[in-house]
Amino acid sequence: MFVTCKDHKILTVAYYTFQALLKSRVLFHIILIGLLLLFISFVAGEFAFGIAERVVLDFGLGTLSLSTMAISILMGAGLISDEIESRTIYMTLSRPISRVSFLLGKSLGMGFLLISNVVISSSLTLGFYIYLGGELNPLIFWNILYTILEALICLFIVMLFSLVANKALSVIFTFFLYLSGHAVNDEFIEKFSLSSPMGFLLEKYHYLFPGFHKLNIKNFLLYQKDLEFNFLLKTLGYGFFYLLALVLLVCFVFERKDLD
Amino acid sequence: MLTLKGITKIFRGHFLDSISRKRGLFTALDGLSFTLGEGEAVGLLGANGSGKTTSLRVIMGFTKADRGEVLFDSKLGPMGRDFRQNVGFLPERPYFYPDLTGRDFLCFMGALNGMSRKGIRKSIIEWSERFKIDFALDSKIKIYSKGMLQRIGLCSALLHNPKLLILDEPLSGLDPIGRKELKDAIREVNRQGKTVFFSTHIIQDVEEICEKVIFIEKGKLLYEGAIDKLMTSGESFYEFKISKRSVGKNFEWNGNTLELEDFLIITVSGEDRLAFLKKLIDKEIDIESIVPIRSSLEEIFYKVKNREGRICL
Ligand SMILES: Nc1ncnc2c1ncn2[C@@H]1O[C@H](COP(=O)(O)OP(=O)(O)OP(=O)(O)O)[C@@H](O)[C@H]1O
Ligand SMILES: [Mg+2]
Repeated sequence: MFVTCKDHKILTVAYYTFQALLKSRVLFHIILIGLLLLFISFVAGEFAFGIAERVVLDFGLGTLSLSTMAISILMGAGLISDEIESRTIYMTLSRPISRVSFLLGKSLGMGFLLISNVVISSSLTLGFYIYLGGELNPLIFWNILYTILEALICLFIVMLFSLVANKALSVIFTFFLYLSGHAVNDEFIEKFSLSSPMGFLLEKYHYLFPGFHKLNIKNFLLYQKDLEFNFLLKTLGYGFFYLLALVLLVCFVFERKDLD
Repeated sequence: MLTLKGITKIFRGHFLDSISRKRGLFTALDGLSFTLGEGEAVGLLGANGSGKTTSLRVIMGFTKADRGEVLFDSKLGPMGRDFRQNVGFLPERPYFYPDLTGRDFLCFMGALNGMSRKGIRKSIIEWSERFKIDFALDSKIKIYSKGMLQRIGLCSALLHNPKLLILDEPLSGLDPIGRKELKDAIREVNRQGKTVFFSTHIIQDVEEICEKVIFIEKGKLLYEGAIDKLMTSGESFYEFKISKRSVGKNFEWNGNTLELEDFLIITVSGEDRLAFLKKLIDKEIDIESIVPIRSSLEEIFYKVKNREGRICL
């Protein structure tokens, strides 16, 4: 393993970031909301004849995705910028730790929170789904993996914005990108002719902006369609490299930022 | 220990700048140079907005200077090693992770400095008792008062036994007893060989703690050197408080006089003070007290500045 001193410090920051998040009781509220939604999906399942387990799965995975995204965007906006504003960042950065390690540590701590949320909510949903007689399908786990990836991409987008704009604007921009990343899919682009300016722009959309629709496989999952392993892997690769590029960009911007 | 060479920092601010005469650009530091020697206690003195915090931020690398450089002694770490390992820093109006407890926060800071768990534990006990914050270590920082924040900040700055201590207005927000404790603590760590550099706008603080002072105004260095020299430069005055009853009719003096019910307060210039004292003794007048008049920051400022804005002593 490559546990150098530097990695160790990233983990230290991550640990205390997660501690602070835990102690601020966000996770407690998340679990509470998760239980509430589960109850709602249970009621909804009761009313849907025959396919209760599918409703539970649909509803459960949908809320999982939404809640993870909401945490990621709303709390990610303040992850670094709150530290700059409240000047707590001076305490950490006056220690022997590089800005990049600090940033990665903070994101990792936030990542733990996102993953905790995903694990808690999805085990509730899946437990319930199996209890209702649903069958486990590998696509469920791919879907959960993509949700985590999507949340991390949102996290770094909102962090990037928050380093150059204020918090409210960052949240709005990121939310907009989230929506349009889902809306601008292949079917949507096909509606415009490529020669029209709009079609031309839309075709280029995904060169720069995240194609969240690629990470959305819920419809395949719900209607028991199969997806090729290669396709799943390629999608994972797309998300991963998009995330990596974003991380590098955020590190670059943060490294050069004046903290005053 | 530390040398600043011609540091210039320009903010793209919003108010009119007197130096560049351009709106939007503000020169917060203007070719600032000074040196801290090893083992010295140095006060960074300046009025509000003179650039104290900005210069400390440049030293710590939080903001980049537009011109100039900060040089660290090899004692703060051999070439290539991080100087921050041997620096303890306390920002202005410090604030910490509100949801962590004081102990968690100190452990966090110690871990970032690469301290062992045992070392951290020992250091926390030592410094939290020294600064009387040990009783609150297990409550969330959210509920700390201003003085408690200042104290836990100092613990964290000293936790890893740094060689250089940089404190931005460490005494602000403390009550008189707290100020005294803290001044004693700063003197003590300085005696143990740590270099101390702290900013303030209260000249008495510098006088009580340091031998050396760096005085800045509008981002420019006005004076760097011994504090006594700055204090005693120019004209000085003494206030004599004498008993009214013991003063005879034919007692004459030149000096400002204030009449109280039982006493007279007479202000005498530094040159005349001995002659005046002799006169008082000759006439057997009761002396209640003799107090040298402390100059305020502004008075010293006008005293030491000549037309070109340079210090002349
Ligand atoms: N981020 C910034 N953008 C624009 N101007 C700034 C910024 N930070 C500081 N300044 C300006 O630089 C000048 C020096 O500020 P600084 O905080 O260094 O003063 P100071 O000596 O610490 O004052 P105080 O005693 O009030 O703490 C001030 O006029 C301030 O308005
Ligand atoms: Mg200041």
